[in-house]
Amino acid sequence: MKVRQAPERFRNPIGRYIVLRDPGLCTQCGTCMKTCPAGVFTVAGRLALRPKEWLCPGPCQAGENACIKACPAEAITIRKNPLLNTLGDFRWPVDLLLDTWEMARTGKAPIGDNLRYNLGLSGGGFDRMRLSFPDKPAKKIKPDEVDLGISLNRRDHGGRLDISVPYYGGGMSFGSVSRSTMQARAMVAQETNSLVCTGEGGFPTVLYPYDKHVITQVATGLFGVREETIQRVRMVEFKYAQGAKPGLGGHLLGDKVTTAVAKMREAVKGSALFSPFPFHSVYSVEDHKKHVDWMRAINPAAVVSVKVSTPTDVDMVAVGSYYAGAHVIHLDGSYGGTGAAPDIAKKNIAMPIEYAIPKVHRFLTEEGVRERMTLIASGGIRGAHDIIKAIALGADGVVIGTADMMALGCIRCGACESGRGCARGIATTDDELAEQFDPQWGAQRIYNLYQVWNKQLREILADFGLKSVRELVGRTEFLVHLDYEGREAAKNA
Amino acid sequence: MPNQAEQAERIIASRRGLCSERGPGRKEAEEGGCGVVGFACNVPVSGRHIFTPSVQMHNRGNGKGGGIAAVGFDPDQLGVSREILEENYLLQVAYLNPGVREKIEREIIRPNYKIDHEGWTPTIDDHRDVGLESKPPGVYRYFVRANEKTLKAFAKEKGLENLPGRALEDEFVYQTSYSLNKKYYASLGEKAAFVLSHGRNMFILKIVGYAEQVAQYYKLDDFSAHLWIAHQRYPTKGRVWHPGGAHPFIGLHEALVHNGDFANYRAVGNYLRQRNIEPLFLTDTEVSILLFDLLYRVYGYPLEYVIEALAPTTELDFDMLAEDKQDVYRKIQASHIAGSPDGPWFFIIARNNPAKNEFQLIGITDTAMLRPQVFALQDGQVQIGLVGSEKQAIDATLQSLAAEDERFSPIADKYWNARGGSHTDGGAFMFTVKNNEPTAKLVCTDKFGRTIEVPAGQQCRFEAVQAEAVEHEHLRSLLAETPNEKTTAALFELAAEHMADWSFENLAWLCGEIEQWAKQSDYHKQAAIELLTLLNDRKYPVGEKKSASVLEWVRGTLDKLLLDTPKINENNQSRFCLVDQETAKQIQGPKKGQEVLIINAQGFSPEGDEADFTVVVAAAKAGWKRFIGFRYTGQRFLGCGMGPETEGVRIDAYGSSGDYLGSGIDGLQIHVHGNAQDQLGQILKAGKLVIHGDVGQTFMYGAKGGEVYILGNAAGRPLINAVGKPRVVINGTCLDFLAESFMAGDPHKGGGFVILNGVCLDEQGKLQELPSPYPGANLFSMASGGAIYVRDPHKKLVSEQLNGSEFSDVTEQDWELILPYLQENQRLFGICIEDLLRVYGVARPFEQVYRKVRAVRLSVLVSMLEDSED
Repeated sequence: MKVRQAPERFRNPIGRYIVLRDPGLCTQCGTCMKTCPAGVFTVAGRLALRPKEWLCPGPCQAGENACIKACPAEAITIRKNPLLNTLGDFRWPVDLLLDTWEMARTGKAPIGDNLRYNLGLSGGGFDRMRLSFPDKPAKKIKPDEVDLGISLNRRDHGGRLDISVPYYGGGMSFGSVSRSTMQARAMVAQETNSLVCTGEGGFPTVLYPYDKHVITQVATGLFGVREETIQRVRMVEFKYAQGAKPGLGGHLLGDKVTTAVAKMREAVKGSALFSPFPFHSVYSVEDHKKHVDWMRAINPAAVVSVKVSTPTDVDMVAVGSYYAGAHVIHLDGSYGGTGAAPDIAKKNIAMPIEYAIPKVHRFLTEEGVRERMTLIASGGIRGAHDIIKAIALGADGVVIGTADMMALGCIRCGACESGRGCARGIATTDDELAEQFDPQWGAQRIYNLYQVWNKQLREILADFGLKSVRELVGRTEFLVHLDYEGREAAKNA
Repeated sequence: MPNQAEQAERIIASRRGLCSERGPGRKEAEEGGCGVVGFACNVPVSGRHIFTPSVQMHNRGNGKGGGIAAVGFDPDQLGVSREILEENYLLQVAYLNPGVREKIEREIIRPNYKIDHEGWTPTIDDHRDVGLESKPPGVYRYFVRANEKTLKAFAKEKGLENLPGRALEDEFVYQTSYSLNKKYYASLGEKAAFVLSHGRNMFILKIVGYAEQVAQYYKLDDFSAHLWIAHQRYPTKGRVWHPGGAHPFIGLHEALVHNGDFANYRAVGNYLRQRNIEPLFLTDTEVSILLFDLLYRVYGYPLEYVIEALAPTTELDFDMLAEDKQDVYRKIQASHIAGSPDGPWFFIIARNNPAKNEFQLIGITDTAMLRPQVFALQDGQVQIGLVGSEKQAIDATLQSLAAEDERFSPIADKYWNARGGSHTDGGAFMFTVKNNEPTAKLVCTDKFGRTIEVPAGQQCRFEAVQAEAVEHEHLRSLLAETPNEKTTAALFELAAEHMADWSFENLAWLCGEIEQWAKQSDYHKQAAIELLTLLNDRKYPVGEKKSASVLEWVRGTLDKLLLDTPKINENNQSRFCLVDQETAKQIQGPKKGQEVLIINAQGFSPEGDEADFTVVVAAAKAGWKRFIGFRYTGQRFLGCGMGPETEGVRIDAYGSSGDYLGSGIDGLQIHVHGNAQDQLGQILKAGKLVIHGDVGQTFMYGAKGGEVYILGNAAGRPLINAVGKPRVVINGTCLDFLAESFMAGDPHKGGGFVILNGVCLDEQGKLQELPSPYPGANLFSMASGGAIYVRDPHKKLVSEQLNGSEFSDVTEQDWELILPYLQENQRLFGICIEDLLRVYGVARPFEQVYRKVRAVRLSVLVSMLEDSED
């Protein structure tokens, strides 16, 4: 796969601006076509077409719009798209949303300030952190030389499992998302030599060609989990909890349980599906060990990941998982989660991920097992900066969920829990809606986004003077937290 | 003398100075896990018998904490008189820093106590000899009474003058130990010493290591006691240098081990703090025994109320209690619910009750029964009660005892689970050794004081008597001819019919005959295995003999017969082929004529690459289809890892099979000839599981299909989240949450169901109804598909037991659906449909005997209208 244009699926995608060309005034001279750097103006034969306003980057020439200035007939007007007032939220503000779509479309970084597509407006979490670049990197490194690969199994049992980027796709079940969405993500996982998790809804056959890059999730409902699905993969993920709803099990509303979903899970169509919390068979660390042993009994080569949310004693959970024989501890923070997770849970329970990562990193280090345990973080990782921040705090890599949805054209309307609610056909289980896009197109979009991230990651690491992403783990000196900035200085003064 | 309430208030007030200013601390380490085992015996038994069960539960600990407690000693072993042993407090102090002993003695022990005897607890010379990495602390032992003068001053200072003598002295000892622990353990950066135990005629020892190493290091192999408990700890923190946090913990005369993890440690901590008690070791276990001591000794509650305060009776079970009991329980719950540990826990308490001259072993499970627990009782020449996390640990204890002492049998007379917070047994059982009688006697009771008894009978160990031929022509002629398909059944019928009249000598003869018979050919051997299997699985009248003893003979003979098989590396022509731990690596495909692979599971590790299940996986890959596994000692995962499409493979398991058996099978059959453990048949996809006994917790969690037959009961939470088409017959009952969130479609369109018969076979092999087919709550709760067919001719089940499901009649169509399964059930277990349909001896139509529980489509859960179902 190569970076290739993957235009939006709909005729009039959402842009920042509304560009109008008054046909009454326009002389069809073609000046605008020549001046516009973004290709907004096009013709069919001799006929000027409606401007592709979503491509307009805004004032492109010294604070002014080149086309307006150049148009001899003064036929062009540009104004802010009022739709922007209704789009986005604090975690995914509208700029981040639009730029993510653009990256997915073009595979290139948008023009302009990179913080626009690397920060949200939540006022907390990763949004209160900034990267801190050294005046001069310790080593001079070209971005191309930077290695982004990480190893997921660093223990002396189980199969080797190295991935070429420090992130992989998080679990979204067949049922929570459509088959096309799953397939698109799996294609990218294979293409980028990474992984994607099935979520808890079975292993659709469309994923079989990619199964070396698929993680089978074993969650508390055990939906669709069979020996066969455990044996066909290289990595198995135990989902004990998810950051979006710690203390609650998975929940698929009746609306989304269509015939196909019910069949895959062998459950009853139309009835809500609950995954209990916690595993009914695991109420202690020695049960947990038994559980991990069981997975390894079924598939001795499997790399076992343990996904947990971030309670205050998550450090104990992590070290307990190490002694239980797990290879990966996956901390799922609370900033993620789709519209299907209840707000009360999403916003009020468990520790913020930026506290959980260093806590666990430090605890594992003190315990002397850090170098044998892979630490993965997830929950609201939106882009390259978030990846850098999580790793610098102490993670080895991250897991991506929502950002993939954005690449596929999610508009964050938050109707994910309802079967026919997803107008974009991403988080739908409705057959007609799901056919809205071709998995190949979806894969291209996600791939494009990842390529922009990779480029950014390499540049940032080169600026830090690091040759590999593995050198970044726990290097908090490359971060500044706005709440604590200057505090040291104030103390010393 | 003050009344109990005043006394309690005074004691609590007297402790005011003991608490520090800060609030309750955070738990030191999460430790859910652990393996626990304990036993009480009317005769003293030596510490080495705690060894094997402890070793077999290594996978429930991680070698970072092991401990044992023992109660009821022989005074000579300790070098004291009986009077001193029984009257004095046995104070044991662990000196982590040997240098502080003199100081502590000068400061605390000598001024407070009159010491009648003292000395180091003997140990072996080098801890490394038993595999210990860190040297356990030196334990110094003092037999003490309170110094009278000090005691008087204490009473005066604390306002406890009115306390009766022993109550005062008990409290004095308690507070003195508390002060020692606080000063030399809890408040120091560097921990120096702590009191291990201080009760009368009991002690605790613990180390950083495994429980059995305690016995080895402190030379308890030959040390005998009436009660023993052991604990394998699984602390999550890796670096542990001293055993302060290991179990057991002390109250006064009691030691407690715990398997579980409280969710409300802080709340319980606050509850204790309000009563002037502050935990010093910061673990759940310490808090548990502090609670017990508070309720039992300070509040003076009877044991039943203590248990109620810890594990409250709830829901339907509460409604089922007698009204006067409800009144009391309501008050207990109102006063102590804040101190009731929430979450998974299981306590084993060993204690001395000097006031009654009793030793007592108590097992208490939490209301939700979230931890595994098994009780067992043997009552023959000697009496022994056992309790543990796994049945295999109990069997290991009995085998260890039986190997050394003829009076014990390797098989208990009865095994059972407690139903937490229930009106039936209260979720707790105690084994009480009563010393008042001329010979000590063991009595087993439940929370409500009801006695658990096992039938009396003659005991006879395997091969302990000479054979005496049975003159029975038919029997002899059957044994003389070459066996055909009918021979086994005929022989079994004959044996079952006459067993009651036969003596052990006759049984010895029969077993010997079968053994010889089996040697004649592979046909004979096959028939002999089948015959012995029937004699093992089925129930039939055994007359004056103990059925456990008959079983011992049957199993012993089968064991010999299976062992007498050519090994895989030997050249042979037999259909049968034996593999054991030594030859495991030599697995190859079956040679011509070879059909049955017999696996001797002894010595295989319980999990991992070297475990016995890997042998089955490798052998199945190489072409074997028939497996017989025997001598299991709790090995896990049998039948796992075989992958899809394993139709035609059959495994028969004899002995103590382990957790997760058959979890994930997709086509094959497993027959378990005896009780099974926990987590059986998880995610089971297809195939058949037959259990000639009970199954443990979370049986068939997330199962997708399969045909399953259970002779006995299922413990808590069976078939949760099962989908697809599992079809299950449970002849006994379940503890709770049967088939919660069951989603197995429409039974009439290929979906799944459960048949719950609520019956058992008595000692005579006769069908008996259980008091209720399902005594708990949450039957089929939140289910969206499938059905439960329950045998309930007396309509004992009420809608309060359901949660989002409803009763309906069993139709003709339903009966046709379940009949084939009842027929197979009859074939497997001998439970006749005719008998099932008989009520008070009268045959009834099925619709008057069976009821159906089906799912209700709850509007809150279903927003889509049902259209075409495809």
